[in-house]
Amino acid sequence: MLLAVAEQVLNGLMLGSIYVFVALGMMLIYGVMHVLNFAHGALFMLGGYCAHLVFTQAIGNYALAILAAIVMLIAVGAVIERTVFAPLRDNLRNQVIASLGLVLFIENLVVVLWGPNALQFRIETTQAVVSLGVLRFRVQHLLIIGVCALCVTALFLFLQRTRFGTAIRAVAQNPRAALVVGIDVVRVHRVTFAISMALAAIGGALLGPLFLLFPQMGDLPLVKGLAGILLGGMGSIGGAVVGGLLIGVIEAVSTLVIATDYRDAVTFTAIVLVLLLRPQGLFGVRTREEA
Amino acid sequence: MRAFEIIGGLLALAGLWALPQWGELSPYVLHIATLSAIYAIPAIGLNLMLGYGGLVSLGHAGFVGIGGYAAGLLMVDAGWTFWAALPAAMLASGAAGALVGALCLRLRTHFFMIVTLAFGLILHAVMNNWEELTRGPVGLAGIPRPEAIALFGAEIAFRRLPDFYRLTMAAAMAALAVQALIVRSDFGRMLAAIRQDEVLASARGVPVMAMKVAVFAIGSAIAGAGGAFKVSFLRVAAPASFDMLESINIVLIVIVGGAGHLLGPVLGAGLFVAVPEALRVASAWRLVVFGLVLVLLMRFAPQGLAGLAADAVRRLRGKGALRAPGHA
Repeated sequence: MLLAVAEQVLNGLMLGSIYVFVALGMMLIYGVMHVLNFAHGALFMLGGYCAHLVFTQAIGNYALAILAAIVMLIAVGAVIERTVFAPLRDNLRNQVIASLGLVLFIENLVVVLWGPNALQFRIETTQAVVSLGVLRFRVQHLLIIGVCALCVTALFLFLQRTRFGTAIRAVAQNPRAALVVGIDVVRVHRVTFAISMALAAIGGALLGPLFLLFPQMGDLPLVKGLAGILLGGMGSIGGAVVGGLLIGVIEAVSTLVIATDYRDAVTFTAIVLVLLLRPQGLFGVRTREEA
Repeated sequence: MRAFEIIGGLLALAGLWALPQWGELSPYVLHIATLSAIYAIPAIGLNLMLGYGGLVSLGHAGFVGIGGYAAGLLMVDAGWTFWAALPAAMLASGAAGALVGALCLRLRTHFFMIVTLAFGLILHAVMNNWEELTRGPVGLAGIPRPEAIALFGAEIAFRRLPDFYRLTMAAAMAALAVQALIVRSDFGRMLAAIRQDEVLASARGVPVMAMKVAVFAIGSAIAGAGGAFKVSFLRVAAPASFDMLESINIVLIVIVGGAGHLLGPVLGAGLFVAVPEALRVASAWRLVVFGLVLVLLMRFAPQGLAGLAADAVRRLRGKGALRAPGHA
């Protein structure tokens, strides 16, 4: 039993790391631009497809394929930010509905371009197995957890220690005051969107080889990422990390107790409970009026 | 001008009613028209919530599903007639809407959207996994069409497409009438007040929470009726018809047609179902185009088609009114 729990906890940390990639990206955009981008899951999926495309058609090197996917997604994100989110600033309803339109557009464009069937994405790290005592894991699991830890640390250092990171935090706290002290708010929005896209691309490219690539593969990570954000507390970067990991672990461990079919429903119920009982999340403070 | 509108409306109705008699019309066209009417019904429910109440619900398809499954199970397992199952389905989805609304409506903006999304996903998960009741992912098969009724001595057999088409058309008209009555009542005016400024409305004595829960329940009940017609038309209730994508589709129909306009959902549903069929495009391309249309509408015409039409009419009339004094 203990062995099964340990196994599921590590599984959960791996899944949770994927959710952290989604949650951090959405959290950054929400914190700075104050909008929820529901197309984030579709962009995550696109990241996986881009990595697969570069890997199979061009270079055959996984690390380079991930880098290429990051660049491609940043380009896509720049177009979306400039044509959709920036012009609709301060109109929450229209921004959210436009992002739903983007979900339809991106997911079905992928169906048109790549076909509706799942693609296989074969790399060595999904085949290789590593032993941790009596437990055996695929290298890809550890790779996902490791890359996630690296990205989170880098993001923290960037936001806390660099000048531009400070500017991003300033805009998140008060855009008008940031403008007054001479921060280029438009540039902050664009860079934030690019960081968020890079995280989505890494997440999609890391998850793809482990399961399969399919057009709806981003839907569940989107919802789980949202759940992580809510659990950690809307507006808190640290909260998004802890929340995402927690959702992954809760989900994995819950499969030991209840039927796997209901695994996803556990997360959705967690969202509802958190919002109803503790809308500020575990670490957040109730600030904005909507909570 | 009013008389003109009424006559136009009646002519359109008569045309739609006579659609099955139009010459060599293929059953295919009737099929499309029926599906449009079936999509229009839940969209009218969402229009009340989103267009008039300002509540962006991202889980509407879940409530369509509650109605669909309630009607299907009552007909297949309990042997009820469609006519008994329809009000029961509306009651079930309306009650679920009241319950979920009472829980969710304390939250606003992003949080309300997320929690409705989560409820939609939970409902879908239940339909998918509660195999003893819902038969799981393959769906509940063998749902009958409505039983024939005798009207003025003639038998109307809803098994046949022309009569079923007229029934769904009548149901969509009834939903439109309910929508118009609600919007023009005190209830509708209070709803508009809440949408425009909740704090002010509350200060003026509008029971904000009760109003929101009521419109959520009514919208969900109308969605449930749509679900009952849908499963009776398709002869099967399957979870895939009530997933997150379907919720987005209903939002799309309302927005493209024109949220907060009486005829918006009907226009939107007609476009959503009929135009891609007419152009004979593959289903993936159709959603690519609709996704793009939705984004473009938000950018350039967030009031939707009905809004654009209303603007055009107003501009025409406005010019006429300006010119009139000079001529007089």
